[in-house]
Parts: sequence; C-alpha cells; structure tokens
Amino acid sequence: MMDPRAWRRFRRNRGAIVGLALVGLVNAVAWIGPAFAPFDPSEQLEGGTDPQTGAPVPPGTHLAGRGTLWLGADEVGRDELSRLLAGTRISLLVAFGATLLAVALGVLIGILAGYAGGPTDTVAMRSIDLLQSLPFLLVAIALNRVIDRPDLWVLCLVMGGLSWTTLARVMRAKTLQVRELEYVQAARALGAPAARLLLRHVLPNAIQPALVLGTTLVAQMIIFESAMSYLGLGVRPPTPSLGSMLHSGQQWLTHQPVLVLAPSALIVATVFGFNLLGEGLRDVLDPKD
Amino acid sequence: MTRYVLRRLAWALFVVWAALSLVFVLVHGVGDPAAATLGPRAGAEQLREFRRKHGLDRPLLEQYARYVAGVVRGDLGTSFRDEQPVSRVIATRLPRTLLLGALALAFELVIGLGLGIFAALRRNTIWDTGTVALTFVGISAPTFVTGLVFLYVFAFLYGWFPVGGYGVDALDHLRHAILPAFTLAIFGAATYARLMRSEMVEVLGSDYVRTARAKGASRLRAALAHAARNAMLPVVVLVGLQLSTLVSGAIITEQIYAWPGMGRLAFEAISALDAPLVLGVVLVTAATVQAGNLLADIAIAALDPRVRMTG
Repeated sequence: MMDPRAWRRFRRNRGAIVGLALVGLVNAVAWIGPAFAPFDPSEQLEGGTDPQTGAPVPPGTHLAGRGTLWLGADEVGRDELSRLLAGTRISLLVAFGATLLAVALGVLIGILAGYAGGPTDTVAMRSIDLLQSLPFLLVAIALNRVIDRPDLWVLCLVMGGLSWTTLARVMRAKTLQVRELEYVQAARALGAPAARLLLRHVLPNAIQPALVLGTTLVAQMIIFESAMSYLGLGVRPPTPSLGSMLHSGQQWLTHQPVLVLAPSALIVATVFGFNLLGEGLRDVLDPKD
Repeated sequence: MTRYVLRRLAWALFVVWAALSLVFVLVHGVGDPAAATLGPRAGAEQLREFRRKHGLDRPLLEQYARYVAGVVRGDLGTSFRDEQPVSRVIATRLPRTLLLGALALAFELVIGLGLGIFAALRRNTIWDTGTVALTFVGISAPTFVTGLVFLYVFAFLYGWFPVGGYGVDALDHLRHAILPAFTLAIFGAATYARLMRSEMVEVLGSDYVRTARAKGASRLRAALAHAARNAMLPVVVLVGLQLSTLVSGAIITEQIYAWPGMGRLAFEAISALDAPLVLGVVLVTAATVQAGNLLADIAIAALDPRVRMTG
C-alpha cells in the first residue's frame, strides 16, 4: 500500500515534518504529561485562591510544603498546569474517539454506496447532502443538551456521528473508480464474491484517503470539542478539557490571562499540527494532485 | 435552467423541513422542555400545569402537526421563558447578526483576495511562503481562541475597541462590531486567500494573460484586470457556500463578545431548552444556510452549463 519512496518524500516535506513534530509533542503532553503532573488536577488547593479577593494565585506561586504552581491556579484554586496536562488528554481522547467513529462510518457507508449503486447509493448520497446542509454546531449542541449526560462516550458519538460525510463521499468516488478497473472486473467475471472484492481490491485503495482525511479530521474534532466545551455543552466541569478550561478561564481573562492563553496555545498547536501533517500526507501519498 | 432552479428549491425546502423536524424530535421527544424551563425544584403539579398550558401533554405527533401548521401560517409560537412571540425576538436579533456577517464578509474579501493576489504575484518568494503559512495559521486557529486573544489584546490591553456588547446608536454598533467581525472573518479570509492564490497562479500562466502582456498591458494591469477577474469566479461560488458559516458560526463569536444576535439567541435557547425559540432559530438558520447554498448553486449553473445537465 505505501510506496517505499513515500517516506523519502515525507522527510523532504518541511510542513509534514513540523506537523509530525507538533503532533508528537502534543501526544507526549497528553499521554506522558499527566504522570509528571505536580498536583492532582481536581484538588482545590489550600492557598490556591486569594482569601480576600477570591482571585486565583498567579503563576510561580509557591505553596509551602506542597510545591510550585508554575502556571498559577484556576478559578477555584486547582493547579492550572496539572489540569492542562489532564485536559489535553481528555481533548485528544474525545477527538480520536470521534475521528475513529467518523472514519469507520465514512469508509463503510462510502464503499457500500459506491459498490452497491442504485437506490442504496441514492439514499446514502442524499442523506449525506442532508447532513451537510444542517446547521452543524446548532444541531450538535442541541443534541448534547438534550441527551444531557456529561459522558465522554456520548460526546464522541454525537461528534463522530455528524462528521463522516466528507470521507464517505471520497470513499464512494474511489470505489466507483476501482470497481471499473480491469483487474477488478476480471476478478468479478471469475466469480469472486462481493465481500472478497471489497476486502481485497476496494478496501486497500481506501486506506490512503482515509489516512489523509482522518488526520485532518482529528484537527476538526479538536476544534469541534473545544467549541462545544467552550459553550459549556461539551465536556462538563469538573472534568478538564482544553475547551472547558477556556470556558471557565475567560472570566479571569483580564486578571490572569494565562488561564486563557495556555489552553489556547495547546489547541492551536494541536490543530495546526494535525492540519500540517494531513496536508503533508496528502502531498506524499498522492503526488499526482 | 428553470427546471434546475425549481428542483434545487424543492430540495432546499426539504432540507429546512428535515432540520426542523429533527430538532423537533430532539427537543420534544428526547428532551423535557418543561423540566428544563421550570428548573429542578419544580413540583409535579407545576410541571403538569406548564405542560397543559403549552400543549406539551398532547401526543408528540399532534404537537408536531400543530407546530408545523403554525409555521406554515407564519406563527412560530411564543417563548417559554418570557412569553414573547418567537418571530418578534428573532426580528430584533437577526439584523444584528446580519450586520456582523456583512462586515465580516467585507473583511474576508478584502483581506482574502488581497493576500491571495499578493502571494500569487510574489510566487515562490519568502513573501509567498510567509503568506501561505499565515493562511495556514488562519484556518487552524478556532474563533474562540482568536476571539479571546483579540479581546484581551485589542480591547483590554490597548483599549482600541470596546470590551464586547452592542452599543447604543448606529455608529456605536459599528464600533462594537469591528472586533467580532474581524474574528469571524479570519477563517474565511484564510480560505479565500488560499483559493485565490492557487487560481491566480493557474490563470497567470495562461495564454490570454501572456497576450495581454504582449499587447503592452502592465504587469499589474494584466494581473488585476485580466487574471484576477477570472480567478475570482470560484471564489464567488465559495462565498455563496460560506455565507451560512457567518450566520451559524456566529454562535461562538457572539458569545465571546456578548453580541446579542442570533448566535447568542441560539445558545441561550438551547441551554434553557426553550423549545419554540430553539425551533425558531433552527428554522431561520437552516433557511439562511439553504438560501446561501441555493444562490451559490444557481451561480455555478449559470456559469457552467454542464452542471445543469447532471445536477
């Protein structure tokens, strides 16, 4: 499936390398970072907020016997750095979960629609048109508000269930293309069953676009999750996610901008990284375009 | 052409109806607007009274039929919370979002087309690479990040703009709209810049631009009067498709800048599960989205006869 020259092309693609580095960095923050968190991310520290004003203590505050709050405390006196590490993990977890679901649905529906043709195809394509025409964020927050279970699985289902359409379109087009190839026609003429044709001939051709679109989809899901959580209708407090930290941090924007700037920086780095990597993969895997 | 437009119009109406029905089932079938409106401390008697008053105790299908019949007559019902007619609430909120959207569109086109043409003319120089990198940041920075950062830097630190709100008179509204409109415009500007650049690069290499140059048109004139005009066609089409994001994408921006338009209304209505208001907002938003897509499709069909045959 992958051209051995692809890796060489990849290494020469500066954008892709930067993207890969950023993605690696963010993943390290998310999966390894929490092990080094100085505090429990959900512990409201004594001395975390100013007893007079109630304001969170500034970055670099040292709590005697406990350690240093390198990024200060959040609005209720929890260690911002520890929450940032935990929040990045939650955000990535939700984004990956939603992307996996969207990719699975997109590949499955796209291939089936393209291979079956006829009414199946028409129904699938019209459903995609319909789904793409809906006011997206509106439907998503309405859905999540109505289900009203602050559950990461539910959030993944809502996000992934609304985001598979572009991939399905690409998969369908790819399937239509492959179906007409001579060797596939020949295999069919020899009596190969449909399942075998799909698995052996159609699916391998689907891997590259799924990889490329899936990578950029992670970026979109990070934005999607943060947007919903920023509105308070995604990941709910006290669970930290990059979006929900923005949500609670913005009331201290003027006093303690780090509460907004730190999660913002992580969101932009993550989205930028996955976008660059996706674009790079597209260049590398499909040099024709 | 007429048949194409009619078929496209029928589809647009179908989508609006489907969106409305989907959200109706969500809000009334899955959710519980009575409990959401009255809060957790409402007693059983209060809930029953509220449901009876608003017809929420009727079978779902009957409620649906009643609502749709109302919509057809132009009656969107009254908000659960403050008993205001939904159409009146929307009539005050929609123009504000349209002002924001119009200003954002102006920013998008000026910045987007400007950067795109600039990068194409300086192709393969550091200016081009820098512009492309900038647009990449533009499509990667979500509005809630740029919005909050702008709010902090330009409104709070420098004090150039008001810290959110709507203002008191026309000029003041405009002053309050600049920062949110700019925030809203970043993604679109970056998208148009990328498209405009690639279109310009292609067109600049074409024969008729070379002819124009050979006939003595200056480099700038050839680029702007001859090349940019054609390069803009796909951009115009994309504008029609993206118009919708200015309406629905305003949810976040309006929330950040406390701009009391449709986006904020949508958020308030959904948070409170104020069913008639949610449905009204969805109806208007879906209709706007469809109108934008419809215009874009008609523009494509008018420009490219092949679409009419297959679409």
